[in-house]
Amino acid sequence: MSLAIIDAREWQTVLDLRTGRKRADDSPAVRLAKRVLARHPFPGDTDARGNRWVTDTALDLVGEYDPQFVFLIYAQQFYLFRFSCPPAAERAAMIDAAFAEAERFANETGFCTVVVGTGDMIPTAGYIDLSGLDGLAVTSHWLTRYCGLYGLSGKDGDELRRLTASGLVARVAGKDELLSLFADVPAAAERLPDFLAVAREGYCFRSTLLRRPLMVPAGNEVIPVSAPLAGIKSITEISGQVRKLLADRKVALILLEGVGVKDFRLPHEPCANGRGWYSYEPGEAQYLTISTGSHQIFSYPPGYRSYREDGENKEYPFSGYFTSLPSGTLGQGFAGRSIAVGNRSMFMHTVPGADIAVECFARNLYNQGCMAVIHRQDK
Amino acid sequence: MKCNYCERRCELGDGNYGVCRMYREEGGAVRERFPRRWSTYAVSRIESLPFYHAYPGSRSMTIGTAGCNLECRYCANAFVAREDPAAVQDAMYDFTPAQLVRMAAKLGCHNIVFTVNEPTVSLPSLLELGAESRKAGMPLGCLTNAYATEEATDLLAEVFSFVNVSLKGLSRAFCRQYLGIPNAGPVLRNIKRLAATTHVEVTTPVIQSVNDGDIDPIAEFLADVGQGIPWHVFRLLPEYRMKYAAYPHIAAIDAALEKHRRTLPYIYFHNFVGSEWVNTLCPHCGATVIERFSLGCGGDRLDRYHCRGDACPECGYRIAIHGQRVAWNAKEGTE
Ligand code: SF4
Repeated sequence: MSLAIIDAREWQTVLDLRTGRKRADDSPAVRLAKRVLARHPFPGDTDARGNRWVTDTALDLVGEYDPQFVFLIYAQQFYLFRFSCPPAAERAAMIDAAFAEAERFANETGFCTVVVGTGDMIPTAGYIDLSGLDGLAVTSHWLTRYCGLYGLSGKDGDELRRLTASGLVARVAGKDELLSLFADVPAAAERLPDFLAVAREGYCFRSTLLRRPLMVPAGNEVIPVSAPLAGIKSITEISGQVRKLLADRKVALILLEGVGVKDFRLPHEPCANGRGWYSYEPGEAQYLTISTGSHQIFSYPPGYRSYREDGENKEYPFSGYFTSLPSGTLGQGFAGRSIAVGNRSMFMHTVPGADIAVECFARNLYNQGCMAVIHRQDK
Repeated sequence: MKCNYCERRCELGDGNYGVCRMYREEGGAVRERFPRRWSTYAVSRIESLPFYHAYPGSRSMTIGTAGCNLECRYCANAFVAREDPAAVQDAMYDFTPAQLVRMAAKLGCHNIVFTVNEPTVSLPSLLELGAESRKAGMPLGCLTNAYATEEATDLLAEVFSFVNVSLKGLSRAFCRQYLGIPNAGPVLRNIKRLAATTHVEVTTPVIQSVNDGDIDPIAEFLADVGQGIPWHVFRLLPEYRMKYAAYPHIAAIDAALEKHRRTLPYIYFHNFVGSEWVNTLCPHCGATVIERFSLGCGGDRLDRYHCRGDACPECGYRIAIHGQRVAWNAKEGTE
């Protein structure tokens, strides 16, 4: 059973992650998680100390648990870029600071690092509003380059053709087109929209999030990877590389959000961030592809109607739209000890599959505190 | 001329749009500056808004406009409510009332709830929406600070069949310093007025050492309005101009609420993840009749609904529920 330990500042509680029900558990692992959470209150998604929190918490957890595999996400700059679009010099300084935090972790622990940038961000060129369609247009808050379309009318078809002709929409792909692009990937087609609209680079579809993004991920057909072994050509090859390295050393896989080939500060190789016309935006599908080594576009596809699965009795109530724990992840398949720490909320306990995950519990930038999840305490 | 929508009673005209900056004077009448302009249309669980005693389990479409008539120092939606409404118009959606109701149906929503800012600053558009949603049989609810005039409060009651009033504090010093109004008198008056005709829940955000002293008098006031009134006590997340304030102490607030749970059986203490004070207990036999999860600002959710209709499954006592329990996907695909 996976346990969730919530720290809402000066108050902690332990829950069963799957059912959300309170658990009385005072095992050594729970006590460890409580100690670490209490020592590291989360400063907030856009707070200048956000990335420092990741390193400090991870170092503490390394000291307490002695893992061989560490998964980290640094995302502070991603949130700041997204909602404030700082001037270029400030952005560069934030990226430098994110790399400095990753380096601090490596220097203090001696871990071998594989560092991945999840993609460059660029100022938003414009917004595409499909709320006037007869059918339904669904864009998630964080993946705004894609929009799921349902129940389109003939008039909607005309409007989409107009947007495509004007260049704002790069493509409108039918369900079959997406399925055939990833024909080798097992698909749960019922979550796929009838059509997927893809915005031109720099443009974003409007979601129902009140804050409009001021910067969005660039096209990012490739993302940068810095690793001791060369030859990573695709996002699906990263986890294999990490597994190889884990055979004889301690490894930290570090994701830097909002940083791509343009701004990467380490020697790196560009690797394909998707397939054909589809490239990943930073989010669960991209992280899971990195973690599992196979494309994960279909689990929770872009533009899917997540709200339909959000009702009463949903399992994993503290895991956002995840309705189950992903399988085949790096941590899950690793016999040694593993941890994950990051300021990217529920992705930390879902994507890496680490024994212990520590994450911020922030939603839409509102800071609720932190959560630790213990998946394994038998190692 | 004076605006009569809220107790600010602003003088409009000559480029003056009132404190909320949402109304103007035209030909001797008060007009909306930005009619039928909406800041969002999002799907939410009704428990997350929060309404714990109205249409449990239902899917709501939340909407808002821009602007507000109060000046709360801890506003969580300052980027919409505290900005000059003229400056955020390019981010607004244009929907006629019929289009908005249809959007709710397309999203499989059972009801529409105005949540983002203060409905009093957009009353004419909401009156139109009220007429349209009544035609469609779609219930309409709102969150309000209830600083409206008596006349506007009656209009709110006409438009909305379920309302959550934010009763933020009672002391004059608090009202002046934290809300920018002289006192809470109109809010108390309007809670009574609304409760006479409408389903009312009340929310009080507690700020440690600032308004926690108001817990006792607020509880007494609410018990006097009606013991069946649900009261949501929020652990305030410091935002906006109070971003660096301390997080309120959970155990201390819970202790302060404890003695009121006999007179006000539907007290909930939440707005923080993992809260253990979000279930409904039967006031008669103490059985747990509705279970919920608290995800803080991530939104609360219904876990299990044990009532039979609105009756306690153990003793049959009628729990104060507005409308029926609605299954989450009940309206999916009915548009
Ligand atoms: S509704 Fe706006 S304009 Fe009218 S009195 Fe209140 S603050 Fe002033």
